[in-house]
Amino acid sequence: MRLGWLILIAVVLIAGCTTDRTGMPRADDHLTYWTSTNPQEMAFARLIVAEWNRQHPEAPIDWEPIPAGVSSEEVLLAAIASRTTPDLCSNIWPGALEQYIEARGLVRLDDFSDFFSVMRRRMPDEMLSRFRSRDGHYYQVPWKTNPIMMLYNVRMFREAGIDHPPRTYAELLAAGARLTRDRDGDGEIDQWLMGIDLQPVWYKRMFDFYPFYLAASQGQPLIADHRPVFENRAAVEVFRLFRELFRRGYVIRSMSYSDPFLLERVAIKPNVGPWSIADIERKRPGQLEYDVAPIPRPDDVPGPSITYGDYKNIVIFSTSRRPRAAWQFITFMISKRNDLRLLEMTEQLPIRQPLLADPLFGGFFRRQPKLIPFARQAFHTRGTDAVPELKEIFDAIAQEFEACALLGLKSPEQAVHDAARRSRLILSLR
Amino acid sequence: MNQSRRRQRKARRRVEAIGYLMSFPYVLHFLVFGAYPLAFAFILIFHRWNIYLPMKWIGLGNIRFLIHDALIWKALWNTFYFVLIHVPSQLVVALAFAALLNRHLRGRTLFRAIYFMPVVVSGVVITILWQQLYAQDTGLLNRALTAIGLPRIPWLTDYRLAMPSIALMATWKNVGLYIVLFLVGLQSIPRSLYEAAALDGASEWKQFWHITLPMLNPTILLVLILSTIGGFSLFVEPYIMTGGGPANSTLSGVLYLYKQAFFFNRMGYAATIGFFWAMMIFVVVLVQRKVVERDVG
Repeated sequence: MRLGWLILIAVVLIAGCTTDRTGMPRADDHLTYWTSTNPQEMAFARLIVAEWNRQHPEAPIDWEPIPAGVSSEEVLLAAIASRTTPDLCSNIWPGALEQYIEARGLVRLDDFSDFFSVMRRRMPDEMLSRFRSRDGHYYQVPWKTNPIMMLYNVRMFREAGIDHPPRTYAELLAAGARLTRDRDGDGEIDQWLMGIDLQPVWYKRMFDFYPFYLAASQGQPLIADHRPVFENRAAVEVFRLFRELFRRGYVIRSMSYSDPFLLERVAIKPNVGPWSIADIERKRPGQLEYDVAPIPRPDDVPGPSITYGDYKNIVIFSTSRRPRAAWQFITFMISKRNDLRLLEMTEQLPIRQPLLADPLFGGFFRRQPKLIPFARQAFHTRGTDAVPELKEIFDAIAQEFEACALLGLKSPEQAVHDAARRSRLILSLR
Repeated sequence: MNQSRRRQRKARRRVEAIGYLMSFPYVLHFLVFGAYPLAFAFILIFHRWNIYLPMKWIGLGNIRFLIHDALIWKALWNTFYFVLIHVPSQLVVALAFAALLNRHLRGRTLFRAIYFMPVVVSGVVITILWQQLYAQDTGLLNRALTAIGLPRIPWLTDYRLAMPSIALMATWKNVGLYIVLFLVGLQSIPRSLYEAAALDGASEWKQFWHITLPMLNPTILLVLILSTIGGFSLFVEPYIMTGGGPANSTLSGVLYLYKQAFFFNRMGYAATIGFFWAMMIFVVVLVQRKVVERDVG
């Protein structure tokens, strides 16, 4: 009797420990798709998966949000290590892609015979080539972009006698002199030029230093041929600008949970993507009048302003037993019709050129004119460099940015030199 | 005769077997949680490993990185700075309170319990409480300062003040433990020594200087070593209060090790820092032993 119980318990335990390769029990022919956890993207996933499943009963898809974790990148790396990845995922930050490739977690997409023809329907070769990995192959489908731009308070600018948003560093500093002031006459400054997140955390610098660096350098990389190449005039100018903005007191320093731009305590928010427009529209007080402008650049930089694209892309994981079916689902997901749905449901821009000139998308932009500058900017964007040590390199920059700009402990030249030296050291340990 | 010898041998073997059996849990615990991690960490020193990929042999790469890594030297300096403030203040405060609590005071048991309380409360909880106390705009300390017309102090946001602020908090938290150790030491000093000194006309201060301090030498050494090791293990306070900032002024060695291991997934380099840190503690404690034993003993 006791032996019988023991056998039963052992069987139950063993059965409980057994999973398929993706770690979750499912029917063999089903594909699993992980999406971002934001409600708009989940609604989009729900809609297109339902439509796909109706049209393709031979390759049904189960979708679910990426499991909770410190960050989706860490969840995905852990899943790759334990071989519990889904078939595909659509929330891939290209900055982490090289790590996934190194861990042999991804399927090479240019092995699919129609990869280039599908891609060329969405974008020119020049743009596609920005998503090529270090080994010369493609592991990601460029899906959506959130170009980082600058929001400015039109009323505050008008009241200060400034008729256009600052385009250069000289104009930005001049605007700071007029806009930073004591509004209520109590002897303390209560209105500033701009607000940025002051925490010296690596990813925060992707939304201030990095867009400004791309704009100043006309889109130059930080790392090339496994060497830091940012010890240049552009990086020094960006550090110098922020140091000057902090030194003159044009940047709000107090940290608060409320957005000072919405409270009209700062005139500029220099780090927003199209995703934030819906949020601002929902929360903004009635009198807030704002517009969107490109990131300012040093006074003598020619050509269009280039910014950080904050791309999110789609990949197929090497654990997939049906990569071909997963690829077919991706081609369905990035069709023109579904790109329009993505735009309408999430207000994030599909990486598709031309976007504004296409009549299919025209209606949306007429209804949402605030997103037009982002769509115009979308072609003039860059991603991050394809190096697995990217996080550490941004950490090095964040530390020096804090020392130079916020605390004034180092000259811009010294801070950029030190960040480059540390990056060299980081890249040397391979 | 032979039979009785055989019986004796059998009994001895049984005792030995019981001995092995009794020590087995400890040996197992040591192998699993002591020897294995230590050996694995040592192997890691010569490898690059990010958990997700197989380990890659890089020879002395991690050690070379450590030598050229400005941040580890910054962390070492920060830790010395912390120890330099924390250990003497810990010693002085703990000894002063222990001497006070060793007298026949009313309610001294209650005071002993109160001073020991922070030791048993979770370090994270205490750190969060102190973070609130130190807050620039809303902290109790700055509100008290502004109430009496003094300016606010940027306790944790000024790179010159952040580490002393953390050291002050750490002293407050740990002092209870060292008070207990000193109390034990004080109570083991024979009363006859004080009585003889009093008869010879020695003042209280002279008694303290010539009897209490020399007799407390082993306790002082113990407190010194324990608080130095504690100082080198500084982690929770900067991790929660400052994240190592501003400008890496509160980056401790263990916090840097943690960041390398679990933030950047550089397990090999983190292991290298771990061994380097253990070496540093060993050297510092060795120096302390020599100095304290020679001077006070």
